[in-house]
Amino acid sequence: MTLDQLLADTKPALSQIYAEDLPELTQAKDWQSKYRILMQLGRKLPPIPEKMKQPSLLVKGCESRAWLMHYYNQHQDQHFFVLDSEARIVKGLMAIMLSLVNGMSNTELKKFELAQAFDKLNLKPYLSQSRGSGLNAMMARIKDCCH
Amino acid sequence: MHSFDPVNFRGQFAFFQHNPGWVYLDNAATMHKPNVVVDAMAMFYQRHNSNVHRGAHTLSQHATRAFEQARDDIAAFINASAREQIIFCSGATAALNQIAFGLMHTVLKAGDRVLITALEHHANIVPWQIHCSKYGVILDIVPLTADYKVDQQAFTELLALKPKVVSFSHISNVLGHIQPVTQMVSQAKAAGALTVIDGAQGIVHDKVDVQSLDPDFYVWSGHKLYGPTGIGVLYGKTAALELLTPLFGGGEMISEVNFSHSLFNILPFRLEAGTPDIAGAIGLAAACNWLQSINNEQMKSYKSMLLKQFFAGLNKIDGLDILSSPVHNAGIVALNVQGEHPADVAELLNQQTVAVRGGQHCAMPFFSLLGLAGAVRFSFAPYNTEADVATSLHALTQAVEILTA
Repeated sequence: MTLDQLLADTKPALSQIYAEDLPELTQAKDWQSKYRILMQLGRKLPPIPEKMKQPSLLVKGCESRAWLMHYYNQHQDQHFFVLDSEARIVKGLMAIMLSLVNGMSNTELKKFELAQAFDKLNLKPYLSQSRGSGLNAMMARIKDCCH
Repeated sequence: MHSFDPVNFRGQFAFFQHNPGWVYLDNAATMHKPNVVVDAMAMFYQRHNSNVHRGAHTLSQHATRAFEQARDDIAAFINASAREQIIFCSGATAALNQIAFGLMHTVLKAGDRVLITALEHHANIVPWQIHCSKYGVILDIVPLTADYKVDQQAFTELLALKPKVVSFSHISNVLGHIQPVTQMVSQAKAAGALTVIDGAQGIVHDKVDVQSLDPDFYVWSGHKLYGPTGIGVLYGKTAALELLTPLFGGGEMISEVNFSHSLFNILPFRLEAGTPDIAGAIGLAAACNWLQSINNEQMKSYKSMLLKQFFAGLNKIDGLDILSSPVHNAGIVALNVQGEHPADVAELLNQQTVAVRGGQHCAMPFFSLLGLAGAVRFSFAPYNTEADVATSLHALTQAVEILTA
């Protein structure tokens, strides 16, 4: 497995999450269905193989461990990411976050505000609940990739 | 002494009236405060607030009297032989840092050994690491048995290396296992070591008599014993406290200061630099006095009845790895849903308003020994109810269903 392959597998998974799972999540009636969807959508992201999880990729600030890999396409000015977490709910939330920012230009990513974006999608409760889960730490790490 | 009545007991906590939907099983992290504690602190601030030991005016004398009365009450609570053996600090962490630092210059020299166990909270590991590595002191760790208890055979063997200090927890904060402290203290003493007990969980469960248990130091945090946050107790035998170099310098702890050197004050002030947490000490003493008025044996047997019900319920849920033993357990159950991360389990319980802790509980070395990401910890208190047990079991069943669907 290489970063290129992971990026290639992550991209369509994120499009599907954005187009299909996100609307389903916002319309889910009870908390059980919401969490089932969250966990399924986390599963759609290809896992980063153990061998590739270098300590430098570890995102601190989470109860559970999470990892982030980054690739910047200079010609097209686009940031692409691959991420993984050992906790499934966290991975689901991170997948949603990534589906919003993957492929953004440097300027777009710099301007992106997670709280606003989650609010627009009626996902804000998830953001406040998961303050300790490292979602904000992951977002900060993604933003650190900007130049 | 009053007999323990669960309904009356729970009724003394305003928290539960304000949060009727919640099942609170994170008591090992912090406990709720009975109204007597909150009232005592409010009373101090509203009527008696002044700084202590600066008795130029009568108000300060009143505050000093109340603060020193708190020291007396706490000394009586653990049956300390003298009031100056109670040192107020911010909690067990601060106390252990003071002890580790304070013994380095006086007792521990390069090549000496300190012995702790593999079951310790970070607060009883990291201070020793920091100071031992700085002064060339060797830190030994007692390993665990297969059922996660401190290996007493290995403990005896490591004592043969003649450690100068032995430091261990009374009750494990992760698993709830009660250590054979009386035996460990007497063995360590026979080996010529100073003994330090981290009583953060222990004092909540058992009535502690420091004269009969006889350690050199026993430390605990107020907030885990129905008291406020920010206050804790470093108990030490007078001779042991005299060995401690103060970690903090400042006001109160000196008798004379000039620019070339200072003379330290007597105990307990020598180890209490700066303005103390006056209201905190008064709140903690109120908690101790209140607890002492309730039959502890009845309270313990009520808690163990809840624990028994909880364990019985767990046995009916498939797919759990239970780390805690029901035997010699102070009311803490650590478990995992097989193949699932504890953070996920804890979040699904949170969705059902069951408050537990999921993670490593400040005991990373223990979990790396086990090769686990952590555990979900349910910790019970005497204000919990049989309904809490039933609700948490139902919530856990739901969580398992969602995770394994």
